[in-house]
Amino acid sequence: MNTRITGSMLTRGVLADLNEIAGRQSDLRRKMSSGKEIGRPSDDPYRAGRALRLHQELDGIRQYGRNAGEALGWQRVTDTALGHITDMAQRARELIVQGANDTLAAEGRNAIADEIDQLIAGIKQEANATYDGRYVLGGSRTDVAPFDSTVRRTDPLVAPNDAYAGDAYVQQREIGVGVTLGINVRGDEILGGAPGASGNMLAVLRDAATHLRTGDTNALRDTDLASLQGQIDNVLTVRTRVGAGMNRLEAATSRLSELEESATMLLSDTEDADMARTLVDFSTQQAVYQSALNAGARIVQSSLMDFLR
Amino acid sequence: MPVSTFLGIQTTLRGLLAQQRALDVTSHNIANANTEGYSRQTVVLAPSDALTLPTSGSSSTGAAAQIGTGVDARAYSRVRDQFLDLQYRGQSMSLGEHTARSSSLQQAELALAEPGENGISATLGRFWNAWADLANAPESAAGRQAVIDRGRMVSESINGLQRSLADARVRAGAEYDALAGPGGDVARMTGDLAATLNAIRDAEMTGAQPNDLYDRRDLLLDRLSSFGQVSAAASAAGGMDVTLGGVTIVDANDTTGLSSVPPGAFPLTFASSPGGRLGALLEMRDAAGPIASFQVDLDEVARSLSDAVNGIYGAPFFTYGPGTDGLPALAVNEPAISPGSLRGGPAGPGDNSLALAIARLRGGDADERYGRLVTGIGNAVSDAKRSEATARALTDNIKDRRDSVSGVSLDEEMTGLIRFQRAYQAAARAMSTTDEMLDTLINRAGRVGL
Repeated sequence: MNTRITGSMLTRGVLADLNEIAGRQSDLRRKMSSGKEIGRPSDDPYRAGRALRLHQELDGIRQYGRNAGEALGWQRVTDTALGHITDMAQRARELIVQGANDTLAAEGRNAIADEIDQLIAGIKQEANATYDGRYVLGGSRTDVAPFDSTVRRTDPLVAPNDAYAGDAYVQQREIGVGVTLGINVRGDEILGGAPGASGNMLAVLRDAATHLRTGDTNALRDTDLASLQGQIDNVLTVRTRVGAGMNRLEAATSRLSELEESATMLLSDTEDADMARTLVDFSTQQAVYQSALNAGARIVQSSLMDFLR
Repeated sequence: MPVSTFLGIQTTLRGLLAQQRALDVTSHNIANANTEGYSRQTVVLAPSDALTLPTSGSSSTGAAAQIGTGVDARAYSRVRDQFLDLQYRGQSMSLGEHTARSSSLQQAELALAEPGENGISATLGRFWNAWADLANAPESAAGRQAVIDRGRMVSESINGLQRSLADARVRAGAEYDALAGPGGDVARMTGDLAATLNAIRDAEMTGAQPNDLYDRRDLLLDRLSSFGQVSAAASAAGGMDVTLGGVTIVDANDTTGLSSVPPGAFPLTFASSPGGRLGALLEMRDAAGPIASFQVDLDEVARSLSDAVNGIYGAPFFTYGPGTDGLPALAVNEPAISPGSLRGGPAGPGDNSLALAIARLRGGDADERYGRLVTGIGNAVSDAKRSEATARALTDNIKDRRDSVSGVSLDEEMTGLIRFQRAYQAAARAMSTTDEMLDTLINRAGRVGL
């Protein structure tokens, strides 16, 4: 049996086709104006899920980058402070060498002792270095100065103001998935003053000042010089650790920016529309739409009536 | 047996009348070319009863000749294929179901606002960033404030989605009530159908064939079928039993005429899913339906987030429980959590251990679960859209096949018009030929010599 084609079939067919093409056009237009391949999860559920995960990953990478930048700033401040402390300790060492000279008069030694007291206060001042308003050598007690940096004359009868006010907390920064880095140097680690740690520079300097005032040149020569050298070495060791940390942070920063680049590319591959293809598709659809309109208009218009009188 | 002189007039008269009826039917078809549910009609023409004439010598042989007496319009029939109707109703039910499901699920998908800057995923990302920034500067009051603000934003967006999903279910329920409730489309169509079936029964009792009423009945059944599974069975006495989703809505009560269910019976109570649009709406509203399952998934996202953060923080940072509207509500535990009380860690102000551990939750269980929820909703919507498109294509296809049988083709009617007009003209010519013949006989014959 031949299929009868009736008017309603024709119009329905023409309308359905036009609708479908218009739908495709509107989809392509959305892609062009948003630049995104997917407007809703249902456009491509798998791709949408993947884009979400990549966004998360990229967010994380950027955050690690910020963390590393912060940590680097912190360590630079620490490094500078340690540098200054070393300089001042070297100066104190020179003074002790000078004071250990038996030919020096007592007044001269007293003057040197006064200068060492000043240096002690200066070293503590450096140890109170801050980054962004936070004391970097105080462990987790970043709100209080780790040391009292007022000048106090060394005197066996008066307790020195050399106590460490911080704690033994190690500040961690996360610079990658599961990669953390302790970034802080504790004041007691280099200068001593309990809560108990390896350094003891302040006590060594206090001893030297006492020996200068009492004229004990033997002690100055035999023990104080060696002890101070040991403390300077300790600071250098700590400074090396800080330098290594900074190197690591710089390496991490550049690695993170590479990671960010590749994650951005992956994300773009996943969710961004291929503009060239979208444009070509759009003009194709436009041509198809035109010809569908044309064909529809002709076929719906004509009927036998046009040819009958 | 002699044949009447005027037989020719009678024969052509029948021809004239029959062609006229055929033209009437053609006009009816043309007039209804765009009427929904109309099936084209045709005149069934058949030769009228012949006259049997004895021929010469027939008394001995028994042979007789028959002479035709013209044409009769025997019936006006409706061109319709009942099997296509059944197929169409099946597809129409499936289209109704998939359209309703797809539109409900798309509401849920829109509420997600994914992928985008305002989706929960982006908000969660900013929440983890705030904790990581706090870990970089645990002393910062601004950083603590940011964590609390981001926490609020995460809570609000999760609660907002939870509410939108609940709303989508409420809307499906409201639509169901409007359609199936008293005075709704289903109730109205049921009343119409019963009235139409009664009219058909009355007409058939007088031996008539009410074509246009049949069309109306079929159209109502078509429309009802988009709401649910419709079955119509003719009863012995000419009525029809109609059920919707297994519930009788029109009862062919043989003695008192047809009765439809009383208005108080709406909304109908279905033993199982009625299918069609009503079935889909019930499914969307249902506490075990797909939207409700998204709500459960989202609930788990919120619980996982709240448990993980609170577990590490060591005290409730989030509170999670039924809100004032009965939906689960996530909130930052204020005023216990405030910029003054929030801590990056248990030791001094520089302690960032907790903030660090919480920032490490990024990409963890809550994010994973949420990602699965987005993919799940995306898959459900994409499936629903595909099913809808398929059902639509199939429905259009059957509509085409049905139109191919029952639809009015104007070209065909135009040719019919010419055909019947010509036949009418020819019959009229035959009439005048007979007339001329009789003129010869009556007016001219026997006038020899006048």
